[in-house]
This record gives sequence, C-alpha cells and structure tokens, in this order.
Amino acid sequence: MITLTIDKKRVKAKKGETVLEVAQREGIYIPTLCYHKDLMPYGGCRICVVEVQGWSLPAASCTLPVEDGMVVQTDTRLLKKLRTFSLQLILSEHPHACLICSKEKDCAQYQECIQKSAITFGCKFCSQNGRCELQDLVDYLGIKDIPFDFHYRNLEVERFDPFFDRDYNICILCGRCVRVCQEVRGASVLDFHHRGPETLVGTAFDLPHLETGCQFCGACIDVCPTGALRDRYGKWMGVPERSVKTTCTLCSLGCSIKLNCLDTSVINSTPDDNQICVRGRFGIAPLVHHPKRVTSPMMKKGDRLVEVEWDEALQFVCSRLKHHAGKTGIVFSPQLSIEAIDSLYRLADSLHCHSLSALAACYCAPFDLKGIKGNAVFIVVNTDMISDFSPLLLKLKARLKDESTFIVIDAVAGEITQMADLWMRPEPGKEGELLNDIFAQRKVGVHTNISIKDIKYARDLLFGKNCYLFCNPFNTENLSVPKEVKTIALPGSVNALKIGAMGIDKSVKDVLRDKNIESLYLCGVVPELTKKYDTVIVQDSFLPPCEFDVFLPAATFAEIDGSVMNIEGKIKKVRKAIEPRGKVKSDEWILSEIGRRLNLSPRSRKPMRRKGTITTTHRSVRTSKAYPIRLIVREHSYMYRSTPLSQLLKGFERLRHDNRIWIHSSAAKKYRVKDGAVVVITGKEMKLTMPALITDDAPEDSVVVFSGPSIGFIDSQPVRIECIK
Amino acid sequence: MKPSLIISAGTCGLARGADEIIKAAKDYQQKRGLKKAFNIKVTGCHGLCQAEPNVLIVLNGKKIFYQQLKPENVADIIEKTLRKGKIIDDFLWFDSKTQRRYVDIDEIPFYKKQNRILLGNNLCIEPKFIDDYVKIGGYSAIKKVINDYTPIDVINIIKGAGLRGRGGAGFPTGRKWELCREEKTNTRYIICNADEGDPGAYMDRSLLEGNPHSVIEGMIIGGYAIDATEGIIYVRNEYPLAVKNVGIALEQAHKKGFLGKSILNSKFTFDIRIVRGAGAFVCGEETALLASVEGKAGRPRPRPPYPAEKGLWSKPTNINNVETWANVPQIILKGPEWFFSIGTKTSKGTKIFSVVGKINNTGLVEVPMGITLKEIIYDIGGGIPGGKKFKAVQTGGPSGGCIPEDLIDLPIDYESLTEAGSMMGSGGMIVMDEDTCMVDVARYFLNFTQQESCGKCPSCRLGTKQMVEILDRITEGEGREGDIELLEEVGKNVKLSSLCGLGQTAPNPALTTIRYFKNEYEAHIQKKQCPARVCKTLTSYVIDPDLCGGCTVCAKNCPSNAIIGEPKKVHTVDQSKCIKCGICITVCPDKFRAVKKMSPVVR
Repeated sequence: MITLTIDKKRVKAKKGETVLEVAQREGIYIPTLCYHKDLMPYGGCRICVVEVQGWSLPAASCTLPVEDGMVVQTDTRLLKKLRTFSLQLILSEHPHACLICSKEKDCAQYQECIQKSAITFGCKFCSQNGRCELQDLVDYLGIKDIPFDFHYRNLEVERFDPFFDRDYNICILCGRCVRVCQEVRGASVLDFHHRGPETLVGTAFDLPHLETGCQFCGACIDVCPTGALRDRYGKWMGVPERSVKTTCTLCSLGCSIKLNCLDTSVINSTPDDNQICVRGRFGIAPLVHHPKRVTSPMMKKGDRLVEVEWDEALQFVCSRLKHHAGKTGIVFSPQLSIEAIDSLYRLADSLHCHSLSALAACYCAPFDLKGIKGNAVFIVVNTDMISDFSPLLLKLKARLKDESTFIVIDAVAGEITQMADLWMRPEPGKEGELLNDIFAQRKVGVHTNISIKDIKYARDLLFGKNCYLFCNPFNTENLSVPKEVKTIALPGSVNALKIGAMGIDKSVKDVLRDKNIESLYLCGVVPELTKKYDTVIVQDSFLPPCEFDVFLPAATFAEIDGSVMNIEGKIKKVRKAIEPRGKVKSDEWILSEIGRRLNLSPRSRKPMRRKGTITTTHRSVRTSKAYPIRLIVREHSYMYRSTPLSQLLKGFERLRHDNRIWIHSSAAKKYRVKDGAVVVITGKEMKLTMPALITDDAPEDSVVVFSGPSIGFIDSQPVRIECIK
Repeated sequence: MKPSLIISAGTCGLARGADEIIKAAKDYQQKRGLKKAFNIKVTGCHGLCQAEPNVLIVLNGKKIFYQQLKPENVADIIEKTLRKGKIIDDFLWFDSKTQRRYVDIDEIPFYKKQNRILLGNNLCIEPKFIDDYVKIGGYSAIKKVINDYTPIDVINIIKGAGLRGRGGAGFPTGRKWELCREEKTNTRYIICNADEGDPGAYMDRSLLEGNPHSVIEGMIIGGYAIDATEGIIYVRNEYPLAVKNVGIALEQAHKKGFLGKSILNSKFTFDIRIVRGAGAFVCGEETALLASVEGKAGRPRPRPPYPAEKGLWSKPTNINNVETWANVPQIILKGPEWFFSIGTKTSKGTKIFSVVGKINNTGLVEVPMGITLKEIIYDIGGGIPGGKKFKAVQTGGPSGGCIPEDLIDLPIDYESLTEAGSMMGSGGMIVMDEDTCMVDVARYFLNFTQQESCGKCPSCRLGTKQMVEILDRITEGEGREGDIELLEEVGKNVKLSSLCGLGQTAPNPALTTIRYFKNEYEAHIQKKQCPARVCKTLTSYVIDPDLCGGCTVCAKNCPSNAIIGEPKKVHTVDQSKCIKCGICITVCPDKFRAVKKMSPVVR
C-alpha cells in the first residue's frame, strides 16, 4: 500500500497504479486528451501534466507511477500555462476559428446548409460540434486566443472506403485510434507515418482500408476525440439525446449495444462496454431507416400492389390460413424475438402445421467461455472467426492473454486464414480426413493433399496442449474428432440454439418441395419459389423478390421489446429505442393477433418436432464430366432476416462480395469467366444465376457461394459453369 | 626495433585521402621489397584532423609527425625518413599560434595539454588485430575482474572513481549500474549507445573505429558487474567503418574466449551484438533507442520507469555511452584513485571534445575535466584562423548553448557548463568567430531538432516548428516586435512540457543566444541588420570604389552577370541581380580585396 498526497489530500494507492488513475478514483479532476481508459497510456498530449515536489520538470500523470510519499499538485498556475500552451499548439493545426470566436453562440442559426460541404473550417462546419473533447478542454482552460500561426494540412478528406470518413486535417495525433486498433482489436491497420511535423496517422502504404484487413469495427471512431473519424451515415444528424441499451440480433453473439437516438431516428449504434463488429456498428441505423423499408401492410389486388390497413390484411391472412390449415408451410427467420417465435409455434400448433422450418437450428451445447482453459490450441474448421465472430475471438484472446495457437482448416481463404499459426487447405469435404491424419498416427498423404510437413507441424503445435475445435455447423458436416478434442459449435444465427432445442418439422428445402403444401407463411424468409402457391404471406421489412399475396410489415429489433438467445445460451434483452416506423408492428404482435383472431383450439398433443442442427456441406463431393467443378456453400452470416446486408447497403457489398459467386483465377481462365460477368451454375437439381467474382480466396477447383434464401436452399454439390454473354 | 609508419585512417582521414596514402605506402613497400625494413600500421584517427592525411613515424625512440600529405610524398617519406632518419621540414606540423614547426608529436601544442588516456591508444592499434590491443594490456582488466573481484566490488570501484556518463547527462555510472543490478530478475541487458547524432560530434566514432576493444572490454566488465546476459552496441547507420571494425573486433574477442560461454574459464557468460540505427537523431534518446532495438518506431517513452527498472523488453537495462564504457578497463587496471585524481571536485577523469568550426587546429581533443575553454580554444586549438575575433563556443550540440567570450575562463565540468546555460552534452564544441551570425546558429539548430522530432508530443513537434518559423522570419528580415519575447516564452514552455530530452533541450540554442547575444537579435528585428553579415536577405555584396582595380575577374566569374564595369574602371554590383553566392569575394585578387559585405542592405 502506497500513500501519497495529491492537492494536499492524502490518498492510498497500489504499486503500479498511475497518478491519474488514483486522482480519478479520488474525484480529483485532471484534464486529459490522449488518455482513454481502455487503452495503454501514451503520455503524448501533455495536457494531464502535474507538478511533483522535488522534480525539476512536470510529468504526465497518465504515465506517472505512484511512489510512496510523493507530493503532487494538479492545478497550479504553471500547469495551467503549460496545458494552455500544449492545447494552443494542437489547435494551431486544427481549424479553430469557431472554438475561440466570441460570436459562437449566435452563429448556429446561419450554418445549417454549409455543413454538407464537409470541409471543416471550424466547429460549426464539423460533424462533432457539441460532442468534441477539444471544445470541452478549451472551455475548461478558458482559452480565448491562439498566438501561433495557423497551419491547415490541406489533405483530401478520405471518403473512398465504406462506412466512415476520415478527415486528417482535424486529427490531433492523440494516437487513440492507433492504440485501439493495435492493442484492443489486434488488427493493426493504423499507425503513425513519418515523424516530427510531418507526422500523420494512416494505413500501410496509404492503402484504402478495404485493402489492409480493416474489419470496419468502428473502434477507432469510438475513441476519436474530434471529428476526424466519423461514421458517414449518422454524421450530420445531430447530437443524439438518448442512448438505449439493447442487443444486436444480426448474429449469434448477441453483443450488447447502444442505439443512440434523436427524436424518432436511430443516429448510430455503438458498443456497450465490449467490442462489436461491422454489422452491429454500421449495419443497424441505415437498415432501420432504409428508404426501401415497407412501412404499411400491402396486398396484391389484381395486378397491383396496394397499401391496406392492418385490419384488412389480417382478415385476409386469417381466412387463408383457416382455409389451408394443415397444408400451410411456415418458414421463419431466427432473428425473430423469442416471444415472436413462441407465438409462431403456438400458431403452427393450432393450425396443425407439420411443415414448420427455420433458416437455422443448432442442437449443440452453448458456448462456454469460462470452460476454455489455458495452454490451448484452437482448430478452426470452415469458419472465418474474424469476419463472423470477431468480438468472440477478442474475448477468447483476452481471456487467454494472447497465449493461444490457431490452426485453421479451410479450403476458402479469409481473414482468419491470414492470422493463423498454421493454415491447411484441404479439398472441400476432406476436413474430416485431415483431422484423422493429424490425430491418428496413420499414413499421411493418402487421404488429403496436405503435406507431411504441415501435418507434422500441426502435431507439434498440438502436443501437450488443450485442444478445442471450432466450427460453424452450417459449413461443416459432423466431423469425427478424437475424444481429447473438445468440439465447440459456432452457429451463425441468433436464437439458433433455441430453435434447435425447440425443434423443426423439416428442412426449408423440404418444405418448399412439398407438393402437398398449398400456402406459405414466410416470416422473415423470402426464398426463391419453385412452384405456384395458392397463398403466400410475407412478414418482413423489405419487399420480397418472389410472388406474394399479402405483405405484413415487421418492425426491426430497434423498434421492439423482446428477448433473444445468444451463442452462450444467455437470454439477452432487446429494448425498443424508437417508435416503430409508419405502421410497422412487431412480429410478436402480428402473430399473436393472428392467433387471437383465428381463435382455434390448441391441439391436444403437440407435434413431435425434429431437434437438430442444420448442416449443409456434403461429404466428399465427387465431380464428373458433366459436373466438373465443386460448389461450396457457406452460411451467409451478414443478413438481416431474409435480406443480405450487401443487398441493402453498398458498404457491405464492397466489403464482402457475398452477393457474387467466387471463382479462382485459374478456374476463371479454364471456363472463360470474366470478373463481374453473369454465370449460370447448374447442378443435378439446381440452377443458379449470379455475377462472378474472380478471387484466389476460392480454392482452385471449386466455386463458393453464400447461402441465403434468395439463392435457394442448395447444398454443396458438383456443378458446371457457363458464362452468359 | 623496426621503424613503423603509422597512418591515421579513421573516417576523417579517409575522407581527406588517407586511403591513397595507404595504398601508395603498401605498393611502395611491396615493390621495393621493404617488408623487413619497416612496419605499416593502419590505425584509427590520431586526433589532429586538421593535419590529415597524417602519419606518425616511430623511429629510434622518436615519434615524427608528418601532416597534410599527398600520395606522391610517400616515396620520400619512406626513403628519406624511414630508411635514413632524415626529417623533411615541409611535412612537419606548423603551429599558427607559436609560428614554428614541430618534429615530435608530443611537442605539438595541440597534443601537449591533452591527457589522451582513451584516444592515445589509437596510435598503436590497428583495429583489425586484437593482438595490438592485448599487447598494450588489453583484456587484462577483465582477467583481473574475474579473478579478483565480485560484481559488487566492481561497482564500488566504478563508484569510487567518480565516473559520470559521457553521453551528456552526467549521471554517476557506478550508481546507475547499482540500480540496474538491484532489480530482482534473471534477465538484464546492457547497451552501448553509439548513436552519436549531434552535428559536429565524432568522438564515439573515432573510439569505435580506432579502439573498439576498449569499448567491448568495458561492456564485458559492465556485464559482469550488473549480471547481464547480453550486450548490444547500438550504432548509428551512418558509421559503416565503425560497424565493420566493431564486427571484426567482436569476432576476434569471441575466438580468444573473451566473449561467449564461460569467459576465461569462469561461470560468466556474456555476448554482444550490433544493432544498427536507421537515421533518426531521436534514437540517441535512451527510451527511443530501446524502441528501435525492439523493432518499433523510435518514439521515446515516459520515464519513470527508468530503463534500469524497465528497459529493453521491459527488463532492467543499463545504457551507457561509448566513451563511458571505454573508461572502464583503465579504471580497473589503474585503480579508481588514479581516475579520481584527474578532473574537478564533481567531474572526474577526462572528456573527449570534437573541436570544430572557426578554429585552427580542428580535431578530437581529450582533456582533463577542469581545463578552461580558453585553454582549449587557444592553447590546444591554436586560436581563430585568419586572425578573426572569437565570438562564442557552442557546446552540447543541439541540446546545448553558446558560451560568449567573457565566460571562456570557465573550467569545463558538468555543473559549470549547465550553470552557464549550456551543457557538456556528448562533447561537441563548435567555435564561432565574428563572421558567425548567432541568430542563424539558433535557426540552424532549431531546424535540426525540428526535423528530428519524433512527433509524439505537441510541445516539441509544434513548439519547435513555431520557433523555427520565428527564427526564419527574423533571419529573412521579417522579424517583428515581440518576437524575442515570444521565442523565450515558447522556448521555456517547450522545455517544461516535452516528453523527452530532445524536446526538453531543443530550445537551448535559441535561449542561450538570446541571453548572450540579444543585440544581434535586436539588430535583425529593428534595423534589419545582420552584424555578422551572414543572413543573405539582410546583406549586400558591394565593391569598394576606392579599392577596385578594374581587373574584371569578378565580373567574368559572376554566375548571374550582376557585375558591371569596364576594364581598368571601377566595377559595381547590380543588387537586383546579385544572388549573394560570394564568388566575387573569393576571386577578387588579394591586392585589391575590394568586395565587401554590408548589412543592412544597400539600395
């Protein structure tokens, strides 16, 4: 225990703490700028300087270790002078006209339209106006003048990457973005360039973020004290007045997030005391307020699509459901709230429906982070944990303090294949054989094309370690692994565990092929329909591409209260942040209302539903002359209900290209496919028409496509390719 | 004993053509079959760089010093002096102060007042032969240490000697070793800081080039005392000869068992490797140096914690300067009392200074602490060339300050220089005369530190930039009222706010020149005049009509055709075309000396 004196107050501290930490704990205010509680202290801005008795120079309190008997002063005339000096220098390179202007308060009303020019000449032209840490500091120090010549860096504002803008003209080089990207996210996309007055923050070789492995997680934006790094979407919408804590439902992690709102709009979504990914960070607000969102019930009347009132739509729905009871197929998205899913099951039961299906179901054990012991080696099969589960990966690494080894087995290249300690690329479908090669002491090189050297290296890495195997069951068949290896399933969808436990009647493919089904209730799923139905009821946020009779507009998770189950089996709360747009209603309301109106007696005996896990990858797909190339289907993990995010938001399209079919450059040459050209992929029972993306992320002898209702429910299989002119 | 021809071939000598002298000598010796007649030794720098290329001929107990030689002189030197013992007067050193020539190196005034305990050995060591070092007692210090002393004994010896860090800060070395040793750990590192970034400083270079083993032996002893596992010599990338010679020395030390496992059959294991810098002055700052060794950008870290507690890879690390390490073996061999007896009350031993600038005897000077600046400049340095008036001496490089004439009786030690507003620094000593503009000097140094700033803290990154801009304006005739006060204010704030030593000392050249030469600043600002007539914007080149002989030489050589005049008639300079290159002054014949510089400018 250390005792020191801060501003004449005797305080206690532990060895290793800094003076700033202790002061903050004791309620003593020391102004800071480059300091951030989640990052290693940097000591660069010199604002937090304090005077220590007996020391000839002031020291930065954020990096000053406490010493027994230290006498510190935090607020002297000298310190004020030095803090003012440092801030004035920082402002000499930052447009400061508005910061020190005496007319600042009167000015606001004249500035509205100039904001959109997005060249920041002062606070009034800056998207951070009203929530900028420089403004706070200038206020605190009472700075009225800057005696130095002003330098404007005159750099072009960087707008060529998706999701967020970068205006390095107003960057104050505090280094927080560099530190969060390196220390917390581990992506190391940003660093300081050059030195001295030429110092700037940027990427390696000034490449666009899309080319540097940036995950677009937005962590840099969250720590930036000025307007230099800002989300493009909500930038100009004003300062949010309320933050609603809720859960992101775009994937199975169910990260806690904050929806920051003003009046009836969600301005943006930010993390709530944890890390999140690009979906939760940049996918939510523009989705909720997407111009293509349908906000009123619609019905097909003749050739036309007409807006109707809820009453009329629900009446129609109920009459058709009653008519087709027992012959209705119900397909739903796991992104519905648990309450809505419960209502749906009750409805299905009362309709005697035997054709209930969901996009995802997983019957494996919930993810238990605490159960993962140290000294671990992780084998990751066919799952890109960085693009799909980055917050989970970060939690894992934090728990194991970075002492973990990753062996990745995947025929398709991705983000995690690049950071793996060992990446093995077997033929698609041969993952099980490869695992056997590694664990069983059998002859190598017979069953897979992986070299003896790599298999030996894998064995070395595994020796004496706790081994865990991660895989997304959607992308991988049941693998047989030795008992020393603990298999952990990573389903991609929220509620997958819940649905797996509740059970479904049959696969979606089977529902859609069932000749006996005459009507469909599509709740957040819009597949390609292969036959004509008497009635198609669609309950979703966006108009489907298929034929339908009635459209029931569903609320997004920003507009409802409810709960979901995440990958750890935890029930997480979804909280309403804004009033539902237009006439949209929550899925729960719609389904309970239908149930109430139908007033059917519940079945005496509930149907037996299949509990299980949806998988798609076929065991060793054999190609033939007619079907010479393999089609690999991977779970589309970037979806909002039925719709791929890349279809709704351009940024996701540029980031992921998951709306194209991926083909290796050598295969593209062989089959004469040009980048972007539309190709037709034909299998025994399927046909797919999509534009192609030439990328060597795809294995040489296969093409890769991301599953989704819009492409139909197809499994990995042998296919042939033709290019359409 | 066979006579020896010892050729000074440090980087300074090589730059002046020593390699040709070496080649000529070796060729001659080979062709005439004279290998048995005399030895040729190629050594490091001999110290009197003004004299290079120079050689020392050791013959019959005499040490004959020949200077400023050309390859064609070699034949005469060998035939006349080496073989027949005849002195060639033309090659002898002529001292400008005493106005006479000297034969023996020890008589030359430049060397007489020095105490070359470190650099003196450069004369007898060919750096690529470890045996040369062993012959003069090399590696007997480490033997003594291993056989007779415990690590604590060694630390006490160094403490007792009063050795202080020669890199600039002057921290007591023994105490520093003790602090590092006190940390509870199994891994400790020692580092030799050979980044030597001060412009004009090259003593570390000469030590590493000429006598690398002295540094290596010092480090081995340090490693023993501190209980370190590994030593690193961090050399700036711009010293290829030093890197080469240290590399050869390390290899040979290994072969002889002075490095590696079980040194001299003891339990002590220690090794040294070289890490090269990459062109950043800031990496001379110890925490930036550590970052650089760790493979990161050279950005300083806040201290505390100091490297002795948390250094390389967060382990206790002891960093010392080249010259500090080089002193260690001699302190062990000759005893701490010997070292303690040299110098002043607070600063013991000798210090090597690189005396450069407006001085007759440019070179590396090793003197006992306490000698006065006056003695260095006049007795050793030989005074100012061209009979010009001394103005100031800049010590401590970009971190130091200018000391004016009325303070040159100052005895040199750490404290006295700091009190005068300067500092010892690494030992750079730049002599300035009446033709030096002190504002320009400040501008030069601030410009340097500005470019070398790492950029982390705004006080250094932007504060020095503001200072450079103000100084630029002043030297270009755009100085304003209040600029001097602004420079002082900004300078003081930069010193107090900056994170590391670079920023904390960068304003010093400006602050000391303002302190002692305020009149020059005032002249620049108020009268738009540069008293030294250096600042081009404030100076005109003018032909004195009373002295001009109309020879037309200047007009013919003027690159911008700015001189007008008929043969045998007075010439004039067209000020609108003059680019102030100074060629006219150089070519104007001595009998006329008609071109003058005037400030403020003439219309």
